[in-house]
Amino acid sequence: MEMIRPSNASDLAEALTAAATSGATIALRGAGSKDAMGGPVPDAQADLRLDRMSGILQYEPHDLTIQVAAGTPWQELNAVVTGQGQMLPLDPPRAATATIGGIVASNCSGPRRRLYGTARDMLIGMTFATLDGSLVQAGGMVVKNVAGLDTQKALTGSFGTLAAMASVNFKLVPLPEASRTFLFAFQAAEECLAARQRVLASALQPAAVDLLNPAAAKLAGCDGFVLAVRAGGSETVLARYARELDGSASLEGEKESTFWRTVQEFAPAWIDQAPEHSLVRVGHMLSELGEVLDSAAGPVVARAGNGVSYLAFDGIDALQNWMIATREKPWSRVVEWSGAAVQRNVELWSGAVDDFALMERLKVLFDPQRILNPGRLYGRL
Amino acid sequence: MLNSSVRDELVRIVGSRFVFDRPEDLRLYEYDGGVDKARPDAVVLPQTTGQVSAIARLASRHGLPLVGRGAGTGLSGGAIPRFGGIMVGFARMNRILEIDFANERAVVEPGVVNLDLTIAVQPGGYFYAPDPSSGRACTIGGNVAENAGGPHTLVYGVTTNHVLGLEVVLADGAVVRTGAFWPDSPGYDLTGLLTGSEGTMALVTKVIVRLMRQPEAVKTVLAIYDSADNCAATVSEITARGITPAALEMLEGKLIQIVEEATHAGYPLDASGVLLIEMEGLSEAVEEQAEKVRAACMACNAREFRVARTEAERALLWKGRKNAFGAIGRVSPFYYTQDGVVPRTKIAQTLREIGAIGKRRELMIGNIFHAGDGNMHPIITFDARKPGDLERAQRAGFEILDYCISVGGSITGEHGIGMEKMELLGHQFSDESLDLMRRIKQMFDPLCRLNPGKVLPTGKGCVEMRQPPLINLSQEM
Ligand SMILES: Cc1cc2nc3c(=O)[nH]c(=O)nc-3n(C[C@H](O)[C@H](O)[C@H](O)COP(=O)(O)OP(=O)(O)OC[C@H]3O[C@@H](n4cnc5c(N)ncnc54)[C@H](O)[C@@H]3O)c2cc1C
Repeated sequence: MEMIRPSNASDLAEALTAAATSGATIALRGAGSKDAMGGPVPDAQADLRLDRMSGILQYEPHDLTIQVAAGTPWQELNAVVTGQGQMLPLDPPRAATATIGGIVASNCSGPRRRLYGTARDMLIGMTFATLDGSLVQAGGMVVKNVAGLDTQKALTGSFGTLAAMASVNFKLVPLPEASRTFLFAFQAAEECLAARQRVLASALQPAAVDLLNPAAAKLAGCDGFVLAVRAGGSETVLARYARELDGSASLEGEKESTFWRTVQEFAPAWIDQAPEHSLVRVGHMLSELGEVLDSAAGPVVARAGNGVSYLAFDGIDALQNWMIATREKPWSRVVEWSGAAVQRNVELWSGAVDDFALMERLKVLFDPQRILNPGRLYGRL
Repeated sequence: MLNSSVRDELVRIVGSRFVFDRPEDLRLYEYDGGVDKARPDAVVLPQTTGQVSAIARLASRHGLPLVGRGAGTGLSGGAIPRFGGIMVGFARMNRILEIDFANERAVVEPGVVNLDLTIAVQPGGYFYAPDPSSGRACTIGGNVAENAGGPHTLVYGVTTNHVLGLEVVLADGAVVRTGAFWPDSPGYDLTGLLTGSEGTMALVTKVIVRLMRQPEAVKTVLAIYDSADNCAATVSEITARGITPAALEMLEGKLIQIVEEATHAGYPLDASGVLLIEMEGLSEAVEEQAEKVRAACMACNAREFRVARTEAERALLWKGRKNAFGAIGRVSPFYYTQDGVVPRTKIAQTLREIGAIGKRRELMIGNIFHAGDGNMHPIITFDARKPGDLERAQRAGFEILDYCISVGGSITGEHGIGMEKMELLGHQFSDESLDLMRRIKQMFDPLCRLNPGKVLPTGKGCVEMRQPPLINLSQEM
């Protein structure tokens, strides 16, 4: 297989046109940190890597905006903005190796999405190359913009099946003065859910509200059903959280970072353990979290303030049994991460969504020959 | 004119009371909040998704344009049926279908008035965040179509950040649901793609929105400046100090006087610039932020920093901001509101440029805008009775927008492209970028019948309806 590593946007566009002309299938990657996400990587004729398209292109801290090349390592971007007292609170998995383009393409998010949202909320613009060799601009470098169609929405979460991002622009957030995490542990799920409800209905505005079942808590060195509430602000503000979240243990500094790193890396760490492992992303109502927890056989990490839960499975049978058992639920269920033994042997997506036909048309519009990362996204788009 | 068989069919779908085609009725639907005009052949007011779908099928059979209309408060001519056809008014699809506090969601029909949703969820301690200044009138459907913002979208985000799912009717009448009650729906983000598509890709018939918990504390302050430059500089100073207010609005120049004389909100008559700043959240956080904001304002030479002490004082400060347009109406019967965006650090120089353009073109231009986002709203007054005056105002507006582009900004932050800025879109985006927009639009609406003649520049838009642009710069009011 031919490996292509363009170092700028026009080379990228050229590489795509060349492939389209010859009809070669292309595997599109950043640093390749997410091969276990989505459908199996096709047996591609061209291996297109964007890791050489790296670097900060434009950064004006006083505007709270940044533009980076799509192959820029997450860690580099993170270090640059942290240095200016700012942040991009995406908390992506595989943070050590991920590129920013890969994070956006796979719509990776993390615990602090409760307050700050996900990539789609932080993106303000991008440039991408399409298979016909065009370089398309979407959005811009300002934080509010409704000029023309919001085409970057199509790319976010598209798993490289439509076009290849060359650069992405974000709005940034000032770093809070300090951060603290409050941990509750309960014997029973009901108690933990009740505590979650109290936090969500309170005046508090935590950055993250995650719930771990006992199997997941153990991986983070805790016991029981754990509710983890992360807050940012001054000492006065954090003291208020401490008062309201009475009865919790609090974590700060290195301990806090370690805890959240474990949570953030929950999916890849699980997948790396065994080829039979898999992880399902379940979309559900906040009020259905109890049912989701009950249905699980293995570790669960829930974004308990968002209605997105990650269920880990240790074998193909366990996964398939769960899929059958929850068939009638209204939830959306996607095998987001899977080990090698699972990825090629299991249907990774359940039931077609109502707008699937439109999605197929969108795929064909960008990629009529279906040569770009075919099969990686939902329903083998 | 509508042919009578189409009329009969429309009557069969929605009933004769809800089909209008007499000229005196149609006149009410020929304009919106902008400056353009065109009359539809018929207006229908459906009440169900099924009716909208039947109307779309009918329009499709007869090759008629189909234009959605919410409250008609749009400022870029989005709801103007420039090629006639059937206008679908959503005034009767105005039910809030579901309010679910435990799940922080509501499901609404598109004709629900923006503020009515917040009023409906207030008793539970929640609010709907996007708060356009026109919130008393504009509809959620119109907000989705324009991806509307408002003063508080600085901290909470615009419409697209609060819409999780849609039910839409496509041009051929197909009903499709996108997204869900929860985020991260599998596959492509069609909800995001449709939001802000200005009624050119689908008619929205249902919207799933996020509700947010009301903040515990709110503090509103007015910072007063003798120099508009210093006032503008405060915006990036606030950013530089790591403060994110909930809202950061600026009034500048002669407008301050005009607003004060109309609303008596307590804005000093001799100020050159004022900032209306609001902090929201935990009471401790709000207190601290207010202190930091005070320091930032003082560092930029504010003359006075006034904190609203009571709810009444707070409401009064906002009244000045929200009624600004009415206030301008008192001094000039005609005005034209522009909408451009610049990076926050470029606000001061942009205001200077706007001033220079006003002087050159002999127009009074005031600015009242969402400064925290860099979202400029120059308000250009003119006299429509004088031949060529509106044209002059529009040209000044376009010059301002070109300047916004030149400093790395955008020609619209919230009002949309509509038919007002189509040609300018080509100044901001390359042909390749426009072409992709066109192809996506045509994927949804292959025959180009949904809100034709909008968004994309003439010649770069849909082919089926390509017609000479309406030259409609003169206006009778
Ligand atoms: C005084 C004043 C202040 C304003 N302040 C703000 C502000 O702060 N922020 C802001 O963002 N805007 C503001 N606006 C602009 C305007 O209110 C918004 O654009 C609003 O979203 C339009 O809503 P509407 O219901 O009036 O839509 P309309 O004007 O009726 O229509 C706007 C567009 O939406 C389409 N549309 C309407 N309903 C549907 C539907 N159901 N499905 C598909 N397409 C549909 C129409 O075809 C048209 O293209 C202001 C306007 C005024 C007059």
